[in-house]
Amino acid sequence: MRAEGAVAGEFILDIQAMTKRFGGVTAVNNCSIRVPRNIVAGLIGPNGSGKTTLFNLLTGLLRSDGGDYFYKGEPMVGLTPHEIFNRGISRTFQIIRVFREMTALENLVAVSRDGDLGGVRRRALELLDFVTLLRLKDEYAGNLSYGQQKLLEFVRALMSDPEVLLLDEPAAGVNRTLLNTLLDRIRQLRGQGKSILIVEHDMKVVMNHCEKIFVLDYGELIAEGLPEEIQRNEQVIEAYFGHK
Amino acid sequence: MSKRALEAPAAPAPASLAEELPAGKAALQLAAIALSLFSFVLWPGLVNVYQISFVFFGLQYVVLASSWNIISGFTGYVSFGHVAFFGIGSYTTAILVAKHGWPWYLTLPLAGLLAVVWAAFIGFPCLRLKGPYFAISMMGLNEVLRVVALSWESLTGGGLGITMPNAENSVSTYYAGLAVAALTVAMCYAIAHSRFGLRLAAIREDETAAEAMGVPTTRYKMYAFMLSAFWPGVIGGIVAYKLLYIEPDSTFFIAITVNMITMAMLGGKGTVLGPVIGAAILYTAQELVWWYIPWLHLIAYGAFIILIVLFVPRGIMGYLIDRGWVAKGVIQ
Amino acid sequence: MAERTPGWVYAVYLALALAGAGLPLALAWEGFVGWLAQARSMTSLAVTLQVLASGILQGGLYAVIAMGLTMIFGVMRIINVAHGEFLMVGAYMAFVFFMMLLPEELHSLFTSNLGMAILGVGVFLLICLPLMFLFGMGVQRLLLNPVVGGPELTPLLITFGLSLILINTFISVFSSDFRAIPYMSGALVVGNLALGYPQVISVAVSAAVTGGVFGFLKFSRLGKAVRATAQNADVAMVCGVNVERIYLYTFGFGTALAATGGVLISIQLAFSPEIGGIYILRSFAIIILGGRGNYLGALAGGILLGVIEGFISFFVSQGSQLQELAAYTLLVFMLLVRPQGLLGGIADE
Ligand SMILES: Nc1ncnc2c1ncn2[C@@H]1O[C@H](COP(=O)(O)OP(=O)(O)O)[C@@H](O)[C@H]1O
Ligand SMILES: [Mg+2]
Repeated sequence: MRAEGAVAGEFILDIQAMTKRFGGVTAVNNCSIRVPRNIVAGLIGPNGSGKTTLFNLLTGLLRSDGGDYFYKGEPMVGLTPHEIFNRGISRTFQIIRVFREMTALENLVAVSRDGDLGGVRRRALELLDFVTLLRLKDEYAGNLSYGQQKLLEFVRALMSDPEVLLLDEPAAGVNRTLLNTLLDRIRQLRGQGKSILIVEHDMKVVMNHCEKIFVLDYGELIAEGLPEEIQRNEQVIEAYFGHK
Repeated sequence: MSKRALEAPAAPAPASLAEELPAGKAALQLAAIALSLFSFVLWPGLVNVYQISFVFFGLQYVVLASSWNIISGFTGYVSFGHVAFFGIGSYTTAILVAKHGWPWYLTLPLAGLLAVVWAAFIGFPCLRLKGPYFAISMMGLNEVLRVVALSWESLTGGGLGITMPNAENSVSTYYAGLAVAALTVAMCYAIAHSRFGLRLAAIREDETAAEAMGVPTTRYKMYAFMLSAFWPGVIGGIVAYKLLYIEPDSTFFIAITVNMITMAMLGGKGTVLGPVIGAAILYTAQELVWWYIPWLHLIAYGAFIILIVLFVPRGIMGYLIDRGWVAKGVIQ
Repeated sequence: MAERTPGWVYAVYLALALAGAGLPLALAWEGFVGWLAQARSMTSLAVTLQVLASGILQGGLYAVIAMGLTMIFGVMRIINVAHGEFLMVGAYMAFVFFMMLLPEELHSLFTSNLGMAILGVGVFLLICLPLMFLFGMGVQRLLLNPVVGGPELTPLLITFGLSLILINTFISVFSSDFRAIPYMSGALVVGNLALGYPQVISVAVSAAVTGGVFGFLKFSRLGKAVRATAQNADVAMVCGVNVERIYLYTFGFGTALAATGGVLISIQLAFSPEIGGIYILRSFAIIILGGRGNYLGALAGGILLGVIEGFISFFVSQGSQLQELAAYTLLVFMLLVRPQGLLGGIADE
């Protein structure tokens, strides 16, 4: 079965009417999002609007209560998280989940694809170098600072060379210099043809770096469009400032 | 960093994750291993039967603690009934030797295999349980086996146990135990130095994150559990043959589980050397106290367990790592 | 999250688990039916009731013991392997009190006069329980407090170490011989039922203690704080509950409940320093059956297990092993099928 109406290759992620309930709370409500291929897209919305839950649905950590979801036209609902990961969707977590009692280097090697260990190690070292963590490669991840753990998680998500990268608040707690490196890196990945979906609260980051923005409120998609459009959108302004 | 830098290797990389040791140091390590193996091989020629047995039972604990370490130390699932695999191996060998006249060494592969089969059978449902529930389920299943061994008299002889025909076995079982201990430690080493081992550790650290990062957690936990069952089954068979007599209560004995756990903890769980060191130290200490102050033996042991857990929870290896004398990480 | 499993795999496991728990029950049923065929209907009904009643009496005792364990497990998420030994300590306290501190001449009071016998147990519990409460608090403060909330292995080992110390200290002091307290013999006869006085007293005390625990948890401020901590320690802390203190009290209460069980055992059965092992795994089965931190569940689970065991032991030869088999299989089975227990326990996040 292929996603209806999806022109193969146009959308990398095609989310169709996905829903997730927790008891009485509908965290994601009938949400349809199409993420174009090769893009840096933003996913924004007030706290508790369902962004993290949506990521958990996309990566298979939660089972949806309805709806479909296609990656490159292939249905993904029902796959286990590691299967989804192996198709090329990787992520970071809002609340850091590095492997604390493993070294920084081991964190990366553990999640690499099978293959020559020497090459894997080299790639891991380069990635660590890139986020200025090389000299800490043999330190326990749990001993790194919050910002460093965030960066480690970011490069861990890159280890397998994924097609799609879901970043859950990557900038929170990372200092300016490192943030710029991170954004550089994201732009590079975009240049390599990857698709990146970022949940972020820092509006400057979102408006300056995302080509397309999706806005969630109470689990529903209330707007999507270019940054300028979103900035002017009444509904979005209301969602952020109206009801509180 | 340019895209090129990521793809083109700058320099030939070492084949394993651990930094390649300087040739001299590697040779030294190899020499140490060879020397210690050599002295273990010579031991029976130098000493009397009791001293052979002494070392044999120490080796038994090297096997048990190292094996427990695979599922509980590396993977983080605390098996509080690991003696079950030992017991299955013991009964396999005892039954085949006593009732079917098999040569004891031929029973050993089967002893290990049946332990693995049991591990697969109970692992499938139980490895979904988390934390204390997994621990309790292992304890409960061990009791189930004990009671089955007590009740199924036609197979196991019930509470009377099984007696095997007399045999001169102390040297042969010693070498078998030595071989099994060496193989167990070698297997742990191989696991710890592979991505498989790293992924087990990732499961221990954060199972959800590991799964989301591509580790097939269900399958890997199962492999780890089955690997951690094999050698205990084999050594169980060897011990049964050495003792020539087994019965349920001392075979499926919870204290043996606690011994392996305490030994692994003392040495440092989640490391290759830790369980070996822990087994050597604790076993020797236990025997000494038992010998000199028997009435205090178990009281002292209880206190010792508490002290270890409270004050050196990461064990000797953990202490060395914190001091910077041993490298951090899964791989030592 | 886990891989999908075909239904037949579950069916196979279900069948095997049921066989483990069911075999003893089936044997008991067979024995029961065979026996029914022989006996005349009037007596058979009476005996069935008798077995049922004994099972309930036994189950009441189990329930008190398990309630302490489930309290500790519920609030502190600690598996207290030394629970059986706390019980044993309670039994020996009764032994010391009745046999060593009480003048010989007074013994006959407890063996002949029902009122005095009840009074004796009551008074003794009033002395013993505060002591055990303090003992439990001491254990919590010294040994467990540093490790609450850590990995499950740590408290497991600490309490195991403690149980080794207790068992062997008591063996050194009292030897491993079985001891007994001279106590009311005879039975209360109700219609066709004959219920031993010690058992009846035991179940009455169990009921009183159980009622007390329920009332305490339901109505007292402290009890409410205990329940809140069990639900979510972090939230409780934010709401101003001193969680560390609650842990202290919880472990004290749990220990006292175990000791109550021990005292009640001491008036019915002979005991040795090693009896704890008999009760600990049954208690695990009961609290899993009832659900973590579910007191009503522990009560129901205890009585259920008592009755099941009663039937097995009465109608099957070799019953004692099968009793155990039923209990342990039930334990594992519940963990796999319904880890939250029959009545639903406190959810794990
Ligand atoms: N595991 C869960 N159980 C119950 N409710 C949850 C769970 N995860 C999230 N929620 C609820 O779902 C809603 C969306 O949460 P979340 O996806 O974390 O929002 P966001 O990431 O946009 O801040 C919130 O109301 C939150 O309380
Ligand atoms: Mg979020």
